[in-house]
Amino acid sequence: MISTKWKTAALALTLLAATGVQALAEKVVVITPFLAQPGTQFYVEGFTKAAEENNWDLNVIDTAGDVAAVISRIEDAVTQNVDAIVINVDPAQVAAGLETAKAAGIPVVGMDAGADPLLVANVTSNGYGMAAETSVYVANRLNGKGRVVMFVLDAFPPVQIRGVIADAVFKNHPDIEVIDRITPDVQDGGVADSRAKMEALLAANPDAGSISAVWAAWDQPALGALQAIEDAGRSDEGIVIVGIDANPQARDAIATGGNFEASVAQDFEGIGRGAADVVSRALKGDTIKESVIYVPTKLITSANAK
Amino acid sequence: MGLILRRYGTLLGFLAIIVFFWSQLPETFLTARNLINISQQISMLAVVAFTMTIVMVMNDFDLSVGSTASLAGVVAAFLFSLGYPVWAGISVALLVGLLGGLFNGILVSFFGILPFVATLGTLTMFSGTAFLISGGKTIFGRDIPGTFSGFARSGVPLDGIGLAGVTMPFLSIMAVIVLFLVWFALEQTTFGRRLYAIGGNMEAAKLAGIRVRTLRMSAFALTGLGAATAGLMYASRVASANPTQGSGLMLDAIAAVFLGMTMSEEGEPRVLATLVGVLILGILDNGLTQLSVDSYIREILVGAIVVSAVAFSSISKQKR
Repeated sequence: MISTKWKTAALALTLLAATGVQALAEKVVVITPFLAQPGTQFYVEGFTKAAEENNWDLNVIDTAGDVAAVISRIEDAVTQNVDAIVINVDPAQVAAGLETAKAAGIPVVGMDAGADPLLVANVTSNGYGMAAETSVYVANRLNGKGRVVMFVLDAFPPVQIRGVIADAVFKNHPDIEVIDRITPDVQDGGVADSRAKMEALLAANPDAGSISAVWAAWDQPALGALQAIEDAGRSDEGIVIVGIDANPQARDAIATGGNFEASVAQDFEGIGRGAADVVSRALKGDTIKESVIYVPTKLITSANAK
Repeated sequence: MGLILRRYGTLLGFLAIIVFFWSQLPETFLTARNLINISQQISMLAVVAFTMTIVMVMNDFDLSVGSTASLAGVVAAFLFSLGYPVWAGISVALLVGLLGGLFNGILVSFFGILPFVATLGTLTMFSGTAFLISGGKTIFGRDIPGTFSGFARSGVPLDGIGLAGVTMPFLSIMAVIVLFLVWFALEQTTFGRRLYAIGGNMEAAKLAGIRVRTLRMSAFALTGLGAATAGLMYASRVASANPTQGSGLMLDAIAAVFLGMTMSEEGEPRVLATLVGVLILGILDNGLTQLSVDSYIREILVGAIVVSAVAFSSISKQKR
């Protein structure tokens, strides 16, 4: 008697045999715990296109949020003797797997993963560059003169570096005065508390023109400041607001042509392609000197927000 | 024939899986290094599943094991970040697991709340506590002492038994120790026999003078302790702790116990059978990754195998 169980098993095995075995192309594995997140999907899309062009035998593994499973899957990929591994997770958390790959001589490339000596290179956006884009935008819009409010988050390194650059740019303009450098409470993402802090600042500076611009290290405080300015009935004073990341809400606000004038978009697909580029160089045996490779970002204004 | 299939169906399926991967991956699958890899990969799930077996013996459940594991990792990492030594962080984390399990046990045995409901509630409570302590963030980097994360990366060298360059990871050894302790408690002590008696018929057990309440409570406490142990192993392996990292363990652990239950004639959970369940899940993950099978197809296959094994066992029992 053949039971259901064996029929299912037979079906499963046939399926495996059909999908499992491919020959000779270079094997590349992308391992991420975050495939369900929109940003990651764009990285993987960009990477997949490049992998097709290179005729790689690509396998994308999603561990559904499980970081320890990323280590396990790296170990499996090493056992399988793949040609290269790409990760999209903090390398410090998967160091155990990276060491296994290193011992086997298999290159591991980071796709917006964080820099680590165990990676060939990490491909990401330049946080310094993004902050330079928006702070220079503010300085130029004000013709080098005005009173600026900054929203920063120095406790979080990727955002802290943005603040450093904006500080330098504003300091370089003698007539630009930073009237407050606010760290909002980010428990809820930062919109609500930024709005409250901005309302207080608007109350303390009641004269038109007493606040010329709001520079935010990411989009949420910029959105909070925008709400505060609109609700205070001061949207016609020409206060310039800028953010970073160009999330969908920020793009919508910028597209309306109001106070929120600019943000910076990361090229997620480009990061995927960039990671593929590093993989192909590593497969060729190139030495890659830079531990971090930056993919250009794009300033978003009302001209290109939609 | 029917009897053999009924008793050994799952075991045969397990062997078939191994033979299949062996034939597809002749050079890499059945190697000492890969088998040791698998033992390390499944070690955390194994510890949760072994200790989950203790409550499932009484037909109870513990849905809170995943969040207990996360909480234990976060508690230890938080204490490390405040500068407490490794032993202190580990002890407090284990104590938190034990007390959490004890709390589950009190809700179930003294308040008479259904385990499903009680542990669903504590699942949320423990998870919320982990979020509160960590501020929702991952604790990592300099906050995690090297001796703590180093544990998961080291082991006992096996050069002595002819496997040069291969080490038996401490995580695997931990799992074996827990397996032995649970096996001993369930199979070799009156404590274990009484738990099985409660699982067989709680009323009869009560009438026979077994202190059902105390026993259920202590069983839940042990499950909590096991979950915390697994959570610390996980935190050590990823050298970090965040408030959700153990959440995947709960369903897999229950699945492993169910797979194991198909192997006993009475459908009781036995910890050695749970081991087979854990091995099936771990080997599927390892082998299917090596065969480059899409992760989503992998999930469907794993679920289908669990369901078909349990369905087969239940049908064959009805026929009896």
